[in-house]
Amino acid sequence: MSESTLITINDLKTYFFITEGVVKAVDGVNLDINKGEALGLVGESGCGKSTVALSIMRLIRPPGKIVGGEIWFEGEDLLRKGESEMRQIRGGRISLISQNPMSSMNPVFTVGGQIAEAIKLHQNVQRREIKGKVAEILDLVGIPDPSKRMEDYPHEYSGGMCQRAMTAMALSCNPQLLIADEPTTNLDVTIQAQILKLMKKLRKDFGASVLLIGHDLGVISELCDKIAVMYAGRVAEYSDLMTVFEKPKHPYTQALLESIPRLDVEEERLRIIPGTVPRLINPPPGCRFHPRCEQAMTVCSKQDPVLTEIEKGHKVACFLYDSNVRTKPQV
Amino acid sequence: MSETILEVINLKKHFPIRGGILLRQVAAIHAVDGVSFNVQQEETLGLVGESGCGKTTLGRTILRLVKADAGTVRYNGRDLFKLDKREMQKIRLEMAMIFQDPYSSLNPRMTMSDIIGEPFDIHRLAKGQEKKNRIRELVEKVGLAPFHIYRYPHEFSGGQKQRIGIARALAGNPKLLVADEPVSSLDVSVRAQILNLLKDLQEELGLTYLYISHDLSTVKHMSDRVAVMYVGKLVELAPSKIIYKDPLHPYTEALMSAIPVPGRKKREKQIILKGSVPTPIDPPPGCRFNPRCSYRQPICAKEDPEFIEVSEEHFVSCHLRK
Repeated sequence: MSESTLITINDLKTYFFITEGVVKAVDGVNLDINKGEALGLVGESGCGKSTVALSIMRLIRPPGKIVGGEIWFEGEDLLRKGESEMRQIRGGRISLISQNPMSSMNPVFTVGGQIAEAIKLHQNVQRREIKGKVAEILDLVGIPDPSKRMEDYPHEYSGGMCQRAMTAMALSCNPQLLIADEPTTNLDVTIQAQILKLMKKLRKDFGASVLLIGHDLGVISELCDKIAVMYAGRVAEYSDLMTVFEKPKHPYTQALLESIPRLDVEEERLRIIPGTVPRLINPPPGCRFHPRCEQAMTVCSKQDPVLTEIEKGHKVACFLYDSNVRTKPQV
Repeated sequence: MSETILEVINLKKHFPIRGGILLRQVAAIHAVDGVSFNVQQEETLGLVGESGCGKTTLGRTILRLVKADAGTVRYNGRDLFKLDKREMQKIRLEMAMIFQDPYSSLNPRMTMSDIIGEPFDIHRLAKGQEKKNRIRELVEKVGLAPFHIYRYPHEFSGGQKQRIGIARALAGNPKLLVADEPVSSLDVSVRAQILNLLKDLQEELGLTYLYISHDLSTVKHMSDRVAVMYVGKLVELAPSKIIYKDPLHPYTEALMSAIPVPGRKKREKQIILKGSVPTPIDPPPGCRFNPRCSYRQPICAKEDPEFIEVSEEHFVSCHLRK
């Protein structure tokens, strides 16, 4: 682990134990985020990206359980922390902006009151100064007339404003790591542009690291430096942002990029990935993408590919790039 | 240009808001407020706009699923709002809808064969063995396996459910399909399958689509022409090649610049709109976009701009483009 690494996730496994069996939502994920860096975690629904976020926050509830791995955050393993220590970290040093702002706010308390609660818990602020601080932070995220609007209830806010208020709450204690789980999915494009601009500005001003989770590659491109592509509970590819778009290596990443309609490219037909995302109760053996992969080899259904570095900073979990097992020429 | 299949003239739909003890009408939601456009045979017209702008209501009003308050809709020259019930039912065969949410638009108590076969019963098109054969044909056409026909909706994935929805819509051999956000609830890799299927069916069966969506990238991929809607009105309508490159209305311009493009980090120019979409209950006077517009002139707050053709095939409603 180098000096500048903020968080390192090693072989994280989070399973859900339900009556039908064990759902291996996250099954051996490795990731690092450096200080001040923004990592985009992309994947289709059900690939385990939100579970990674909740595992970092230690917010996995039964029937889910973190069954293995380590999460090193500034030299400490978060998975070995006690509940009271975790409460200090959550919302303080690591904070989460969740997917649906409307349902993440408590409808019976005012927006200002809920932000004040976070500040009271984590910061040593005088009681009479709290209101001023809340207004200040709401102003920062662009809520008009903040000292008045902080007395409003969440239902009096529009979707975009609610997302701003959630962002304000997450930033109120100057976190070192900000986890944003699909922060703009429910918003309209013009409002999404506002929120993205805000997040870019805040990242610059506060110098926080960001883990941005999403399925929209456009949103990720705009905010992130690095990108990790997840498929069925594992990381398939990890590299610099532009490397993934310019020379994607994993067949899943390649297919994913060709299956989205692009504004900048004219195409008559989109590439299809045959089949559907596998169920994680009984994932296919070996590489989980092999039943849908056009370049699958015999080894793919037998062994698990390991996420290995093939160029500096570019990691892929695919046997096509493993010189020991490669039996046919690289495509 | 080929023949016009659908003509919409000054269509209006206001939903009343009732209040007080007598439940008198106190206000109205101006969901669709004077919309006019044409759809040509075998083309795809994309209809885009942000949530709450009235695009879904527009689609439903055209098919007479909700009653319009004013205006005319002509399908192949016949005024739909003047038809009686029986005539309307006949013409309904030629127009069908694909719904947004395949999870809630299929009856969970009906099997796939019941769902797809229902239009045959309602319109008395086929029964017995013939109906069975037709169902099988449709199932194969949309890429589902025929041995699945006795399964219930919960046994299918999202993409398969949407295929069932499409098969049902095709049952009456329609000419015009209104597709309301057909892929927005699907995963990226499945989305491509459905979009390709819609394109193939259009080519094979000569369908005309009114494709409603908020996703500007898929609309560009699907459409020949694109109409942009803002708070109950159309602001711009042009061939998709032109509208994405040279938008004329300030709202379209902002909308286009707000789309994040995968693999592009820096934007050449981006217009960030201030504030949010106004409520359709009490829309701003004059041009509805004027409070958020950066090119605003005094006239914009007073007069409603007309929807006019400024260059060939390019309609826009903006005072600056006269």
